[in-house]
Amino acid sequence: MRISKSLGVPICAIVLTALAFQLGGARQTPAPQTRSQPGTQPTYFIEHPDNVQPGLGIHSRLAALTNPFEGDKASIAEGAKLFIAYNCLDCHGADGAGAMGPSFQDNRWHFGGTAGEVFQSIYEGRPEGMPSWGGRIRDEEIWRLVAYVRTLSTGHSVATENFTGKTIARSGH
Amino acid sequence: MRVRADWMVAVAVILGACQQPAASTSAGDTVFVAGTKIGTAPPNTNEGEWSMPARDYANSRYSGLAQITPDNAKNLKVSWTFSTGVLRGHEGQPLVVGNTMYLVTPYPNVSYALDLTQPGFPLKWKYRPENAQAAVGVACCDVVNRGATYSDGKIVYNLLDGHTVAVDAGTGTELWRVKMGDVNRGETITMAPIVVKGKVIVGSSGGEMGVRGWIAAIDLATGKQLWRAYNVGPDADMKVGPRFKPFYPQDRGANLGTSSWPGESWKVGGAVVWGWISYDPALNLLYHGTSNPGPWNGNQRPGDNKWSAAIIARDPDTGEMIWAFQPTPHDIWDYDAVNENILVDLPMGNATRKALVHFDRNGFAYTMDRATGEVLLAKPFVPMNWSSGVDLATGRPNVNVDKATAQGKNVKDICPSLEGGKNQLPAAFSPKTGLFYVPTNNLCMDFEGREVTYIAGTPYIGGNAPEKGGPGGYKGEFMAWDAVQGKKIWGIKEPFPVWSGALATAGNVVYYGTLDGWFKAVDARNGTVLYQFKVGSGIVGAPMTYTGPDGKQYVAVYAGIGGDMGLLIAGDVAANLPFDVRERGTTLPDLARYTSWGGMLFVFSL
Repeated sequence: MRISKSLGVPICAIVLTALAFQLGGARQTPAPQTRSQPGTQPTYFIEHPDNVQPGLGIHSRLAALTNPFEGDKASIAEGAKLFIAYNCLDCHGADGAGAMGPSFQDNRWHFGGTAGEVFQSIYEGRPEGMPSWGGRIRDEEIWRLVAYVRTLSTGHSVATENFTGKTIARSGH
Repeated sequence: MRVRADWMVAVAVILGACQQPAASTSAGDTVFVAGTKIGTAPPNTNEGEWSMPARDYANSRYSGLAQITPDNAKNLKVSWTFSTGVLRGHEGQPLVVGNTMYLVTPYPNVSYALDLTQPGFPLKWKYRPENAQAAVGVACCDVVNRGATYSDGKIVYNLLDGHTVAVDAGTGTELWRVKMGDVNRGETITMAPIVVKGKVIVGSSGGEMGVRGWIAAIDLATGKQLWRAYNVGPDADMKVGPRFKPFYPQDRGANLGTSSWPGESWKVGGAVVWGWISYDPALNLLYHGTSNPGPWNGNQRPGDNKWSAAIIARDPDTGEMIWAFQPTPHDIWDYDAVNENILVDLPMGNATRKALVHFDRNGFAYTMDRATGEVLLAKPFVPMNWSSGVDLATGRPNVNVDKATAQGKNVKDICPSLEGGKNQLPAAFSPKTGLFYVPTNNLCMDFEGREVTYIAGTPYIGGNAPEKGGPGGYKGEFMAWDAVQGKKIWGIKEPFPVWSGALATAGNVVYYGTLDGWFKAVDARNGTVLYQFKVGSGIVGAPMTYTGPDGKQYVAVYAGIGGDMGLLIAGDVAANLPFDVRERGTTLPDLARYTSWGGMLFVFSL
């Protein structure tokens, strides 16, 4: 009598839990369906391919801009001079090889590598110490810097490091 | 008479030999420089503790622990390890107070208190301070921290974003957190503070960012700033007054901190205090170095640029400057003078001098009078060619004009490189041998100066200086140095710059680590390597030793490559930055073969 009474509550709880699980499962599991057409997906199915790297500001107005100087040799050469004049070199290294700040030679972009995204990085700054240059220097200068910076990874393949390979000169602080 | 003296010596030697057990013969002392002593009293702690960065105010990094000897060091083994949870350069050293070990990590500067009495050394507490992320981007040479100090039940250390914090050593509770530097102007703090008479002494970093360097005292009890002294600028700001008496005539005069700079360039003149601080209680003087002047390009700042690249003595009560000396006046090679000043009393001529021994970036080892700032001796300790020697009449180096850097000129093969003959990695001194144990670099550089504009929060450098190995086919050497004669006694050549600190012990074993991750125990008398172990990452920290609750001697060191060598120079030792994959550098092209970033404490014992 004492035993069955003490077991009574747990057994009851297990049954109720199982029932709740079954009911809940039936409610939450979608019925098998064929691939849905755009605009016909059920509302509980959310695709977010544009948001898997939050913080990139892909939808920013700046990131959507295109570079008026894209590929223009004179602008790229001018950007190389600005890269030194605005002390970019001492953070990002000679020829953008990386120093205090990240490398530009690796074709890897923390905050996106399109012209508009690089413009946004320079214009607004980034959290780990990249200053915001918007309003401090002219927009055309930023675009020339963008044009130059995006050329620096040409010919570099960094994924594999073979220790018989070439080296580059670096400056310490 | 003469015969009799010789006979007495012989008897003494025999008696000495008889009194020593046979096994300890090889562990006997060999005194190279008799009569050299640590210049301050031992710290007010047990022999088995280590409560301030360099263990004592003299910055000796010497411990009286002697269980580990040249005879038994081969039996050393890894006793335990701890992951700090942070990658990047682990400079500095743990502390042990009572039966608790205290650690501070690189940014974000987490601190841990480990209970040494419990199996597995569980944490007593963990403190994760607020610390602005922007600091990461303005720290010139990795996001390092050189450790905490303990005083009056408090653990005190600096945060990269320019704050100083004190936490309760027992509970980890934050007691105060004060803003000392402005990260928006490129000021960070990486140095380890010391506490002198209830005052926390801290200094700034940012010599590559055009900041104006300072040192300050904070009230340990309240966190209130008591004084702040700049190292450049008007006398009043520098706390230069009637008590300022530099040894050399050219260093005397009013407002040298402005008149030795063109215009107002001193306002962005660097001279920060990112190295180690020492203190002589008898003279009541603090000793600190200052960094390079800003910018590197000397054409933008003709003059001596006082007091950049200087060794400075101050009154800790008021901050007043008592004397100052520039190893490298008008520095145009990035030869900071921030390296530690080790206080010893040593025989020089017929007298015992209260001395300060300083291994400068410029490649000269200075033995100075610490009361007056007189240079007693200055000798090169690494290959060098920028100077032919120091004129002891003036204390100034004779500069080789062929190696003087200039704007628009690419000067080749200057030795040592801007990393210096030695960098911040602190040396140690053993009164057992009378020798200094010094981690050194053998690097040279090309240097091309260029004009640079000051833009707040960006680097203010104006020079490009790729580095290469120096003459002899090695890039570093761990050496024993006689500061009375100014000569090397022995050295261990290393394939990489020696970027770890040194530890000296009464057991006649000294310890250091290498960039490629070897931790080494060495015979203090002759440099014989007694034990070595490959730890998980390159060593840029400083080893320390303590006695555990079990009565055993332990030796602890961080493994975690970083700093200038691990981040900027090698370029490719990082593996955790998918958006920043750098190619290997010419200076240390093989380093990443042997190590990558880490963050571990290794503890060794017999």
